[in-house]
Amino acid sequence: MSPSTVSVAASSVPIQEVLQRLKTARLGIVQELRKLIVGQDEAIDQLLTALFAGGHCMIQGPPGTAKTILVATLARVLNLEFKRIQFAPDLMPSDISGSEILEEDQTTGHRVVKFVKGPVFTNILMADEINRTPPKTQAALLEVMQEKQVTLGGQTTALPQPFYVLATQNSMEQEGTYTLPEAQQDRFMLSIVMSYLTEAQEAAVVAQSTSARKIELQRLLGAAELLAFTQAVRLVTLPEKLGKYVVDLVATSRPSVEGAPDFIKEYVSWGAGLRASQNIVLAAKSLAAQDGRMTVGANDIRKALVPVLRHRIGLSFRAEVDHVDVESIIAKLIAAVPVPSEMRN
Amino acid sequence: MTADSIQGMKASEAIAKLGEHRQRILQEIGKVIIGQREVVDDVITAFFAGGHCLITGVPGLAKTLLISSLGRAMDLKFRRVQFTPDLMPSDITGTEVLEEDRASGKRQLRFRPGPVFTNILLADEINRTPPKTQAALLEAMQEHQVTVSGTTYPLEEPFFVLATQNPVEQEGTYPLPALQQDRFMFSLYIDYLPRNQEVEVINATTGASVADIKEVISGAQLLEYQQLVRETPVAAPIIQYAVALVSASRPGKPTTPDFIKDYVSWGASIRGSHYLVLAGKARAVLAGRPHVSVQDIQAAAIPVLRNRIIANFHASSQGVDSVEIIRRLLKSVPMPKSGLS
Repeated sequence: MSPSTVSVAASSVPIQEVLQRLKTARLGIVQELRKLIVGQDEAIDQLLTALFAGGHCMIQGPPGTAKTILVATLARVLNLEFKRIQFAPDLMPSDISGSEILEEDQTTGHRVVKFVKGPVFTNILMADEINRTPPKTQAALLEVMQEKQVTLGGQTTALPQPFYVLATQNSMEQEGTYTLPEAQQDRFMLSIVMSYLTEAQEAAVVAQSTSARKIELQRLLGAAELLAFTQAVRLVTLPEKLGKYVVDLVATSRPSVEGAPDFIKEYVSWGAGLRASQNIVLAAKSLAAQDGRMTVGANDIRKALVPVLRHRIGLSFRAEVDHVDVESIIAKLIAAVPVPSEMRN
Repeated sequence: MTADSIQGMKASEAIAKLGEHRQRILQEIGKVIIGQREVVDDVITAFFAGGHCLITGVPGLAKTLLISSLGRAMDLKFRRVQFTPDLMPSDITGTEVLEEDRASGKRQLRFRPGPVFTNILLADEINRTPPKTQAALLEAMQEHQVTVSGTTYPLEEPFFVLATQNPVEQEGTYPLPALQQDRFMFSLYIDYLPRNQEVEVINATTGASVADIKEVISGAQLLEYQQLVRETPVAAPIIQYAVALVSASRPGKPTTPDFIKDYVSWGASIRGSHYLVLAGKARAVLAGRPHVSVQDIQAAAIPVLRNRIIANFHASSQGVDSVEIIRRLLKSVPMPKSGLS
């Protein structure tokens, strides 16, 4: 395959054309989502950015902010299979990936071991309240996320493609939760924060949710085309200076590195790793592609920074005492790292 | 026996062949790994010496990619286990399940092998799991076998464990006891890449192309090469030098240098000298030389001794770490005259 074309259904299409189709498809998806989702513009933008980049998301927000509706609606519009798992303290790894059961063969009467696929065998998996489950079960999910296959009893079964995990974390309660270790959080491309609606928006939701009107959703895309789009996103080019800027910015978040700014040494206990830079670039490529552009612009990088870095910077105890949050650290980082001339306008 | 077998070859030919294979393995790895040359070299040395590695480093530095790529280049089976606080020994070694025999219809216990039954095991964040589970892995590493309900199951050969631990001091981690760290041949440290290489990585990993790693040698060949490494002769003064280095690291002997008495609470064990010599052999053979030099031993000193020499409180208050102590040891222990070449 030549680098400037994408194979869609066995034919090669010029990349510009694919990106135009991607742009149109995105508008269509947003239009469908808007039939059911009020507000949450930023969350929708970020969710679609991860979708076209092929990345998993962490979604945070208080109950009743339409997290499940958003994800389920997206799955319907995209014509993808959707499953939801409520994570619980007694959930076991096999409740996610599947298990082997003894089954009796009707004809011979012999019992044989059969693999029963778990809910992870789907296109979009919503992992609700992932921090309610003990670490081993969390690790099982993260392993399939990474490997896109399940190995059980020596048998390896591949997951359907595409495969997305959208995990929510309960941020209200602390007791009885198991915070995801930093290395595991790092596997999620973006961290999306959903917030309460304005009163006017809430009124609109209530009016709609109590009405008799039935909402018809159109089905767009489908697995094959979505996969082709994620392939096209990777073909978007990144100007050299922007790549350097991303690496500089991420490296500056590390307190152990020589020459780290004082606010990082004081308030950050662990900084962002290489996956942060990779995901900023991928998210920026996705943003450019959704706009039908072949090249990443400064604005794309800027938009990608917060959702990629939010869950990758660990705050120190001192930060907690001084009421400093991650967003303000990221803002300070952006101010501290010299911006390439292309980004100044 | 594969066509590429070195059986029956002269040692010099076999060594030349190994050198050639090492180059090709490095080439394959270089398709996906950018930088980290020192760690890549040390891990390959451990592979050919048949020793296990412990890597300390922050997440996201391509440890999994490195080790799984090596596995592919050598056509070895690879498994990764994420260590967690609730991981049990049986999650590593395997369990017995009740199963019906199809032919006889009788029910019997059958052993379901755990992830340890592989060629390369990546034990990720080993210090997140409690001591009993750590011990289960370390036992398997040492014995190359697993015993469940009285039955012993041998592991596959070659068997190589690469364990990682997170350097960030955190709540809820269980640091490996010194005695357990002693089972690893090398203790390696991996750090962030220089920024220009990070730029290279993001350019390579966010693009469309996916590098394909080709198989260079087979597991059976690796075993032959491990044998070749062990058959490499070492001159007596070189062995004496390795022993002298290790012995000088132990405080409490009249001949111990003063800085060791000041800074070290525990010195290296005999495993230290064993692995210095073995790593020296592997390094010599990988470089195409049929004999071990003083430099081979010295090059192995830091990865072999780093976790085997335990600095005391006085050392840490002075900012002296075990690497600094090893550097001083290398300066203070006299080198054998015959090995100066």
